[in-house]
Amino acid sequence: MTSSHSKQSATSRRSFLRYASLAAAGNAAGLRPFGMLNALASTAAPADYRALVCVFLYGGNDANNTVIPFDTKGYANYSSLRGPLALDQGTLLTLPGLQNYALHPSLPEIQKLVNSGEAAIVANVGTLLQPTTRANYLAGKVTNPSNLFSHPDQQEEWQNVSPSGSTATGWAGRIADTLGSSHNSGASIPMVTSVAGDTLFCNGAGTTPVAVSPGNLTGASCSEGAFCATRSAAAQSLVTFNSGLSLVQADNGITANAYKYAKALADATASASPLKTVFPTANGLAAQLQQIAQLIAVRSALGVDRQIYFCGIGNFDTHSTQLTMQATLLGQISAAIGAFYQATQELGVSNQVTTFTMSDFARTMQPNSNGGSDHGWGSHHFVVGGSVLGNAMYGTYPMLAFGGPDDSGSNGRWIPSTASVQYASTLAQWFGVNASQLATVFPTLGGFGTNTKLDFLG
Amino acid sequence: MKRLYQSTLLSAVSGCLLLAGCGAGGSSTAATVASSTSSGSTGTGTTSTGSTGSGTTATGTGSTGTSTSGTAGTGTGSGSSGGTTTSGTGTTTGTGTTTGTGTTTGSTGTASSATSLATATRLLDQATFGPTSDSIAHLQSLSTTAWLQEQFNTPPTVLANLPATLPTQCTNNATPCFESEAWQTMLTGPDQLRQRVAFSLGELFVVSTQSVSGYALVPYWNTLAADAFTNWRTVMQDVALSPAMGLYLNMIQSGKPAAGQHANENWSRELMQLFSIGLVKLNTDGTAQVDASGNPIPSYTEAQVEAFADTFTGWTYATSTGTAPTNFPNNTANYYSPMAAVEKYHDTTTKTLLDNVVVNAGGTAAGDLKIALDNIFNDASLPPFVCKQLIQHLVTSTPSTAYVRRVTNVFINNGSGVRGDMKAVLTAILTDTEARSGDTNTSQDGGHLREPMLFLTAAMRALGYSSTNIDATNLWAYTGLSSYTSPLGEEPMRSASVFNFYPPEYVIPGTQLNAPEFGLENTAAVTLRLSLANALSTGSLNGFKTDLSKTSTLGVIAADPAKITDTLGVLFMHGQMPTDMRSVIINAISGLSDYGQRVRVATYLILTSSQYKVMH
Repeated sequence: MTSSHSKQSATSRRSFLRYASLAAAGNAAGLRPFGMLNALASTAAPADYRALVCVFLYGGNDANNTVIPFDTKGYANYSSLRGPLALDQGTLLTLPGLQNYALHPSLPEIQKLVNSGEAAIVANVGTLLQPTTRANYLAGKVTNPSNLFSHPDQQEEWQNVSPSGSTATGWAGRIADTLGSSHNSGASIPMVTSVAGDTLFCNGAGTTPVAVSPGNLTGASCSEGAFCATRSAAAQSLVTFNSGLSLVQADNGITANAYKYAKALADATASASPLKTVFPTANGLAAQLQQIAQLIAVRSALGVDRQIYFCGIGNFDTHSTQLTMQATLLGQISAAIGAFYQATQELGVSNQVTTFTMSDFARTMQPNSNGGSDHGWGSHHFVVGGSVLGNAMYGTYPMLAFGGPDDSGSNGRWIPSTASVQYASTLAQWFGVNASQLATVFPTLGGFGTNTKLDFLG
Repeated sequence: MKRLYQSTLLSAVSGCLLLAGCGAGGSSTAATVASSTSSGSTGTGTTSTGSTGSGTTATGTGSTGTSTSGTAGTGTGSGSSGGTTTSGTGTTTGTGTTTGTGTTTGSTGTASSATSLATATRLLDQATFGPTSDSIAHLQSLSTTAWLQEQFNTPPTVLANLPATLPTQCTNNATPCFESEAWQTMLTGPDQLRQRVAFSLGELFVVSTQSVSGYALVPYWNTLAADAFTNWRTVMQDVALSPAMGLYLNMIQSGKPAAGQHANENWSRELMQLFSIGLVKLNTDGTAQVDASGNPIPSYTEAQVEAFADTFTGWTYATSTGTAPTNFPNNTANYYSPMAAVEKYHDTTTKTLLDNVVVNAGGTAAGDLKIALDNIFNDASLPPFVCKQLIQHLVTSTPSTAYVRRVTNVFINNGSGVRGDMKAVLTAILTDTEARSGDTNTSQDGGHLREPMLFLTAAMRALGYSSTNIDATNLWAYTGLSSYTSPLGEEPMRSASVFNFYPPEYVIPGTQLNAPEFGLENTAAVTLRLSLANALSTGSLNGFKTDLSKTSTLGVIAADPAKITDTLGVLFMHGQMPTDMRSVIINAISGLSDYGQRVRVATYLILTSSQYKVMH
């Protein structure tokens, strides 16, 4: 019995991600356990290393219950509007540096990072093409992103920061297109790595990402003994033929890259040993972030000095039973990001790695009639890392009022006060995109004049 | 680039094609041989292959006579449809799916060889869970029309409802049991077309065991299979009131909103966006309508989403006898009856739906639901939206607009004034010239990537895998298969979200190709699929067996490297393996002295090739 899959209990279940089902595959049968990677102390790490790590919260995280008004008046208003979804004030996690706000009780690691100055909150960020007010939104006087409130469109528009989801490149991919000639010379893998399957975020016009299945870097299994090399060579030769068929050719291209990257990753990690940082178990996001940390550890073997990583976690679409569901998910995020930050400290790169969240949208402030909330717009996000000017909130928290100046309608779907492209542009500029390159990477940034950057990164 | 294709493939196919079940009788031999001249060897011909129903005259004897004898013979006694029905409320056990690979005995050997080998194999790849030697021979003995009719007449394989006490192999979790039944049905059910359509419907009307009990998925799957050949409006109705969908998108227990709340929008939004009409208005050819400025026209507004949400309030579980309860929400689960309404919790205000259709105040939950579903069903965007996706699931990711329009027109009117006739739509999809041109023209662009579950079923069926588990309950023997597709992102009815395993709008990076299944294809997935191909090609699926040794049917053929390559080329690639690929495989295996290893290596090379992974 040579099946690499045979050891898995048929009933071990894992959580698929939206569009990203290879993530959280740490329990997948036959995948090698973690522990094969190391910082390769003998190899000098690139001095000027930087990495961005995107954590995508699929389904639309309810930001209204993530960052909550905490002063007496603010909390009372929140509680009144949220009704059955209101969190008890006594359970909230306080922020001494931001006394008017508090965090969801399932975010203790995030709380700690904010309070220690290593994480910041960016308030009410969302897809926008130009500054937008309730008045000009309702009057139809602004150009809106297409298909607001639709999951796939809003996911894609966060990832491509373009007028619609149908643009073929994401902003990480465009950064790779732009910086590829000045960084990562001699790298054996692309600048962008996804540990959560294919996403628009990662695709460039002239670059494609490498996808990694967490915990599985040793390549495909072979049961043909001495004949394996011959079999593999023959298989690889088949993808070099021109079939003349569009989809076959597309798959040939992906497959050829797969052979190449699998070897590069296996070579770079072959003699490595484990990180000391303990990551939480039974946490798909933690497995992804652990994989990312281990790849960062072998950055010199991979020949990279600039990397963008993508990972994600699903099930935030809490139309019902929101209170329990969101608590579970936020708990996983907090623990996973906390461990990841610790791992970057272990590797000595905590100032060189910046982690940030994205999500489809926030959710209606107003609860629905069965314990959930529906699709919203502007949302609050976290940025974590040693270079983050933490213990602070950036952007503008919305005025919580149904039909108020920040409501796009009457249910508390907040009009963003900061555009996702401004958020992305801030991260990209820290990463190394210069002013002259901004328009190429972020074609919609021009809608915001000179406000191309927030202040959350030093 | 001009390519040559093997033209001698049928020499390998003479007689009993291969594998288990070959002994069914001489009729398959006759049928196979008789059709051997029509595989397009040069890729240029447009020779008539009887693909689109030219064999209708043979239908009379073939179809009706065969459907009875053929299917009855496959059931191996467990009864393919004798068990529970979708509306049953019990928890009957043991009447589950049939076992063993379906060995249709060559259907009376109708003398006329109505269907070419290439047509038979390609149609089976499009419309079933993968060709087998027997199913190829059987289809070849019929016309395509007769085969479709036979499949339309084959009763559903009914998944048994899960018992309160689950087999220990399911570890107190209904999902593995449900998945096992689903796998077994896909692999062995005689109602292959019906189940294949149900499978596709399940990727449109997505419900997931990520948040819904496996108990509820069993009747849901049965509903999709039962409705596969009815009318689209019937599918909409039955899905809308299914507890599984009710649970997944929250129509169940969605009551008239109290002050300070609004009705749950989940079902109303996704019913329109994902299941029916899409975000923008469509032309009959599936392209987006545009306004004077060239911009797409939204299909609905946020206000309409909210109006539908209000319209769909008041539904909860039916009582154990299928009647409406008096309490709301009724939290006593009944997965086996359609949801029932408690009128007091139905919002009776006036709502304005699509096309200015108004739901008047004071209506009932069922009456208003009918208005709403009729409203969506009759929307002009629904036929192209549905038809394009069905084409993509069954035939090609990249249909021409003309192909979409032809099928859409059949959806709009089946010729008898009926809108939404599923048999007519499926026939139109599968017999369209664009679906069939690849039978003779191997340069025909199109096809679609085999998604992981279909990759697994096709290989297992072709290679004759059978379960080695002793499972008298028919509830768990196939459950282990999910561990092979899970790393690749799929398990039966276990999507990450309502957006299915892969997004319908997915475009392959760097191309303009809208190819949904490629949403699961990336450099990590490719490597994982190599490992799966290794397991499949070496007979190493845990809990399953097949004989690929030197003494097996294939092993004996492998004494001749060209012959085994061609034989596998028929089973896997419609007898259309390109010559350059064929040469690589023959060269790779010729030096092997173990003929079993020749079979294994050749199979691996086919399964890992993009030529195979993209079914075309």
